[in-house]
Amino acid sequence: MPKIAVRLDNITREFFDGKRTRLVLRSTSLGIYTQEFTVIAGPSGSGKTTLLTIIGLILKPTSGNLVINEKDVTDLSEDELATFRMQKFGFVFQNADLIPAVNVMQNILIPTAIQGGSVSPTEKGKAEKLLEEFGLISYAEAMPQQLSAGQRQRVAIARAMINDPVLLLCDEPTSALDVESSTIVLDTLKKLSQDENRGVVMVTHDPRVFPYADRMIKLENGEVIYDPRSSGEDENEKKR
Amino acid sequence: MRRLVAIKILLHDRSTTAGAVLGVVAIIFLVGQQLTIFFGLLSFMSALVDHSGADVWVSSKNTDNINAAGSLPIRYVDRVMGLPEVEWAEPIVSTAGVYRRKDGKFEPVQVLGLARPRLAGGPWRFSEGSIDVLLDYEGLTVDQLNLKIFGNPRTEDILEIGESRIRIAGITENIRGFGGTLVFTNLNKAREISGYPPDRCSNILVKFKPGTNASLAFGKLRGLLPKAEVLSTESLSARTRIYYLTNTGIGSSFGFSTMIGVLVGIVIIMLTMYTNVLNRQKDFAVLRALGARKKDIVVIVFYQALFVALVGIFVGLLLLAFFLGGTRDSRLPSYMISWVPPVHAFFTVILCLLGSLLAMRRAIRIEPASAFR
Repeated sequence: MPKIAVRLDNITREFFDGKRTRLVLRSTSLGIYTQEFTVIAGPSGSGKTTLLTIIGLILKPTSGNLVINEKDVTDLSEDELATFRMQKFGFVFQNADLIPAVNVMQNILIPTAIQGGSVSPTEKGKAEKLLEEFGLISYAEAMPQQLSAGQRQRVAIARAMINDPVLLLCDEPTSALDVESSTIVLDTLKKLSQDENRGVVMVTHDPRVFPYADRMIKLENGEVIYDPRSSGEDENEKKR
Repeated sequence: MRRLVAIKILLHDRSTTAGAVLGVVAIIFLVGQQLTIFFGLLSFMSALVDHSGADVWVSSKNTDNINAAGSLPIRYVDRVMGLPEVEWAEPIVSTAGVYRRKDGKFEPVQVLGLARPRLAGGPWRFSEGSIDVLLDYEGLTVDQLNLKIFGNPRTEDILEIGESRIRIAGITENIRGFGGTLVFTNLNKAREISGYPPDRCSNILVKFKPGTNASLAFGKLRGLLPKAEVLSTESLSARTRIYYLTNTGIGSSFGFSTMIGVLVGIVIIMLTMYTNVLNRQKDFAVLRALGARKKDIVVIVFYQALFVALVGIFVGLLLLAFFLGGTRDSRLPSYMISWVPPVHAFFTVILCLLGSLLAMRRAIRIEPASAFR
């Protein structure tokens, strides 16, 4: 049964570019659910990444409320938000963005101890399990530069998974990948999204992703122009 | 994990890290080298006093430094010897002379004449001979570091200072004075060389008997010699050093060059560490997005600064040790007091951390959202 992971109530976001204030995200209310592969699509500059970073507690909204587990997190301090991010969310970036100076295993373990302390054997075991699951165990000691783009992206997914996140937030993870690597990455993400305690949100304009989506939110000019959950289409789909 | 990430990022950016380490090496070596020369000069200034073996130096009134003492009546020696606390009292004569080399060239020298047979205040390290060679009327010692300017004389060479015949009887090891090129001989030869009056001397060296109450004995000596300066060895040594530091440009010159060394080092550290952060902006943004707080980023840059400091200090001190070893037997005054390197290293760590403040400031301003651009 899908559960609501994050709720956005009338969220807006403005940016000041030094001369004028631009409204990048108009009043948006929606819920992000577990056990769902949500795709946020739209043309460049439509506010997709802004919406993703607001969901991921990276950007603070200009107005509105963000609720996680019935707790309003809008006004939490930067440090509290960082801790929340670390515990609840996993991030997969466009170019994987692994730390090039540390090896694959260390990259995966970063979110476990970036706030201090040391990595426990349990966490190390979990990282090994993730690597095994993603077919990368033989690359544990390899440096990111030694991997292909697809392998790097899978390491990034493993890194995002290390803290058992409620949501995996992905920013165009397939845009730099060939068809074969994209398929592997998307299959992996789709599988992860089927867990009842986890959801996947992906920002993309890659049409190869759309068939994987359980829910597709379309944005244009900072406005949600299509969301099956709010239009009722989703319910109709389920009834069918 | 923070420490690991910090060090690995540093090692990954080898060229900028090498630049930062170079900044620390510059501070350690340049400042350290200035300090060794400074301490070397300081040790020269008061070397004669420090190695005299006396407890007290009696000089003419208002003596500011050992090399600029007036003269005292020699009868003061008997007065001092009259005190029950005194084990021995010996006069010395410090005078100037002109040394004539074998090739006929001349060299000004500072002649120190010592009273036989004790030869108190005499040289303390020899590469050839011993202090006893000064018991001989014509005996004179020169230092191995001055052999070249003396025309490379050898022991048993007969030469002249002023119009007086002298015999090179011994060669001292690295005993240099600050007031001129120093040679040692006995009191009578020194008087003969310079025509120093027989009833006068430059200083009187006094040694107290073991167990003597020094402050009481000093009081007695001062009462006995109201027209003379009665100073402990330590006081005269300090007074001599302070005189040269404050009345010559040595203090300010070394202070200035030390400051330049520190400034150059700190600017190099500041710029290279800042560049390091600029080069790794994306990494810092990713770390922030993954949950690193601002303080975690500060800790990472702190570890980086500490690592750079420790490596730089190690290399700098190694170079300094080579420098000290290489200049030990040279004319370059170099000497290091044992507590100075750790203090120097400690302050360098502080400077390094200060130098990293700009980088820290830049690093914590990196927004996690920039990981998505």
